[in-house]
Amino acid sequence: MQSILAVDDSPSMRKMVAFTLTGAGYHVVEAVDGQDAYEKAQTHDIDLVLADQNMPRLDGIGLTRKLREHPKFKTVPILILTTESSDQMKQAGRAAGATGWLVKPFDPNRLIEVIRKVMP
Amino acid sequence: MAEMHAEGGADFDLSQFYQIFFEEAGENLDQMEQILLDLSLENADDEELNGIFRCAHSIKGGAATFGFADVAELTHHMESLLDKLRRHELTPVPEMVDVLLESADASRSLLARHQAGEQGEAPSTADLVRRISELASGRVPEAPAERPEPKPPAAAAPAAQTPPVASQPAPTAASGERELMVRVGPLEDLSSADVIKELFRDIPGLGTISDAASEDTSCRNFRVTTSASNDDLLDLFAFHVAKEQVHISVLAGGDIAAASDATEEVPYGFFPDAPGSPGAAAPTRAAQAAAAESPTPAAHKATPAKATDAKGGAQAHVESTTIRVAVNKVDQLINLVGELVITQAMLAQNSRDLDTAVYQQLLAGLADLDRNTRDLQESVMSIRMIPMSIVFSRFPRMLRDLANKLGKKVDLVTLGEATELDKGLVEKITDPLTHLVRNSGDHGIEMPAERLAKGKPEHGTITLSASHQGGSIVIEVKDDGRGLSREKILRKARERGMDVSDQMPDADVWQLIFAPGFSTADVVTDVSGRGVGLDVVKKNIAALNGSVEVDSSEGYGMRVAVRLPLTLAIMDGMSVGVGDEVYILPLSSVVESFQVNNDDVNTVAQGSRLVKVRDEYMPVIAMEKIFQIPRDSSEKSSNIMVVVESDGSRIALLVDELLGQHQVVVKNLESNYRKVPNVSGATILGDGKVALILDTSSMVRRARH
Repeated sequence: MQSILAVDDSPSMRKMVAFTLTGAGYHVVEAVDGQDAYEKAQTHDIDLVLADQNMPRLDGIGLTRKLREHPKFKTVPILILTTESSDQMKQAGRAAGATGWLVKPFDPNRLIEVIRKVMP
Repeated sequence: MAEMHAEGGADFDLSQFYQIFFEEAGENLDQMEQILLDLSLENADDEELNGIFRCAHSIKGGAATFGFADVAELTHHMESLLDKLRRHELTPVPEMVDVLLESADASRSLLARHQAGEQGEAPSTADLVRRISELASGRVPEAPAERPEPKPPAAAAPAAQTPPVASQPAPTAASGERELMVRVGPLEDLSSADVIKELFRDIPGLGTISDAASEDTSCRNFRVTTSASNDDLLDLFAFHVAKEQVHISVLAGGDIAAASDATEEVPYGFFPDAPGSPGAAAPTRAAQAAAAESPTPAAHKATPAKATDAKGGAQAHVESTTIRVAVNKVDQLINLVGELVITQAMLAQNSRDLDTAVYQQLLAGLADLDRNTRDLQESVMSIRMIPMSIVFSRFPRMLRDLANKLGKKVDLVTLGEATELDKGLVEKITDPLTHLVRNSGDHGIEMPAERLAKGKPEHGTITLSASHQGGSIVIEVKDDGRGLSREKILRKARERGMDVSDQMPDADVWQLIFAPGFSTADVVTDVSGRGVGLDVVKKNIAALNGSVEVDSSEGYGMRVAVRLPLTLAIMDGMSVGVGDEVYILPLSSVVESFQVNNDDVNTVAQGSRLVKVRDEYMPVIAMEKIFQIPRDSSEKSSNIMVVVESDGSRIALLVDELLGQHQVVVKNLESNYRKVPNVSGATILGDGKVALILDTSSMVRRARH
């Protein structure tokens, strides 16, 4: 089973994402912020990272940057969830090494659609 | 993997996450309010500003996801203003704090309405949105003059209601128009965006455009007023700049749905050559593994960073070490433990006469059971305990608003916020405490000028404190205001035909303010019609087995101490025997007990009897009389007196024997049977018999009046 690391500081969003992904047959590892995610990424086999952008301690782009420094995560897809699809955000995401972005709010079906594009 | 995937396009029922969202949003609003109240405007800290922003951002994200559009719209505007504050594009001013606090309140009402299943009329947020937008655009709105008008009569309301945007347009925008911030970039040559300005000049009716400051040197910002939709604008601009280079955000007018039109087109995307991008070659597990096995020097640097944000760190820590549990589950657990305590007590009682030599192991087991039950009970009860800070946290905001309204200056000091109290009590004590604090702010603390004239500091101080004292918690509300006037209270009491004398001790005089209809406003401030029903406060506290003490010194302030049991579920009791019956007295109300001689009891008018204990006369209540306990004539009569105290008054209860002290599990009699005079509840004793728990405060009241 493929594992997805779902990172969001909002419990309701995190639960919603986890529920959606579990229902779609993925194993979900939850993390409450970038720092927590970074620590969990060391001890779990992760096939895809789904990270909220705005979080305390370490944001989505910061997490992406740190994960990409790690050989284990050189090629793992990382998607950033964001409320703003501004160019500034996109450029920062790209520079950090993110795979793509998904604008919040999103429909659960859309989330699965995007994930299947990255992880067929 | 594919066989595990659910069908695409499945229906997801998001309603199961509503409750989590409501709780989370409530916490975010509380946190936002807390930071806003603590925020120092001159010297606002980035961390605080980011914190407030994140609260609004989080609520907006959830509200939009779960379909609460009104909350999403309001928090979207709050977020926009907060975003400018955290980027230091704007300097915080008091009006911003005001409007953000009011918006937080409005969000709470909107959420409460959704939580209650959309019942009732949704409060209008148009005025708040307008004020936020004006502040966000750098103007200070004339807020006080344009506060929401009193609601029109209910009948007229539905007809009179117009869409919020049309009824409260931004000052510069005509009806239907929106004020937008359009960012174009990044651009190699900033002047290439000038063509967009020309579009507005060339196309009549499109609207107006002007340059706006941009924090990004590779982008141009424009302030646009238009009635065209985001899509129309993007199509127009597409002739000159790439769609991806245009970002439109709404400053005023329109709603969040319109604002997200632009992004609706591209809800997600991938960077062409990024790792894992569908465009790039699909990575294989083997490649990943290979990469993992040949660490690059960079990997050595990638040690987990220390948490730099202490606050955020604490939050994350709390989150991962707590769980949310429904209160009824905890209550059921407490109830079961209560039953277990009773069973254990029965076993202990029944095994008392067993031969220790023969049943050594059984008795050792029972002793273990006794200890474990006690520990279990303590741990389970602690689940329901929550800190007083939950109650205290509402007062800074309340006093701020009250002080603003009255033109007073009040500082609030809170002590002992970590003191824990049963959740059920916390909920019930909140209203009476609110009454008391409001009373202090309203009637106790003087106007600044008056305080200065009296040689007091301009700022009045209200101190809220909580502490454990024995088996009780004592919550004090203290102010350094004008205090109570003994003469005025006595005069007022006489006007109301109450039986008072000039020789009454102070403590008795102060208690008069709790008499029904006795408004402290009349006494303390002579402002009529604003008195707070302190009698209700006292009654509510008495219903929790609590008591209220008042202490005051005219001109120097007043102190109200509320004493409550720690929990309503278990109490320390003293069991007394009368005839064949056993009654439980709350240990907290027992003062002393002694054997009495018939000579010490005097009979006065109407057969009432009094006993003199250390120079104090107190009424004697014969338990066998009030509970009509049958007696054989041969039986000895009661000759033990237990003195109990409530509200500072004492009575002596005449009983046959004192049986012992123990913790009893309180069972509500009212919900299982009906209300019985002089009885507050019942419990099951170790031998399985039911014993009534006496309501000492009502017994004292009856005996003294």
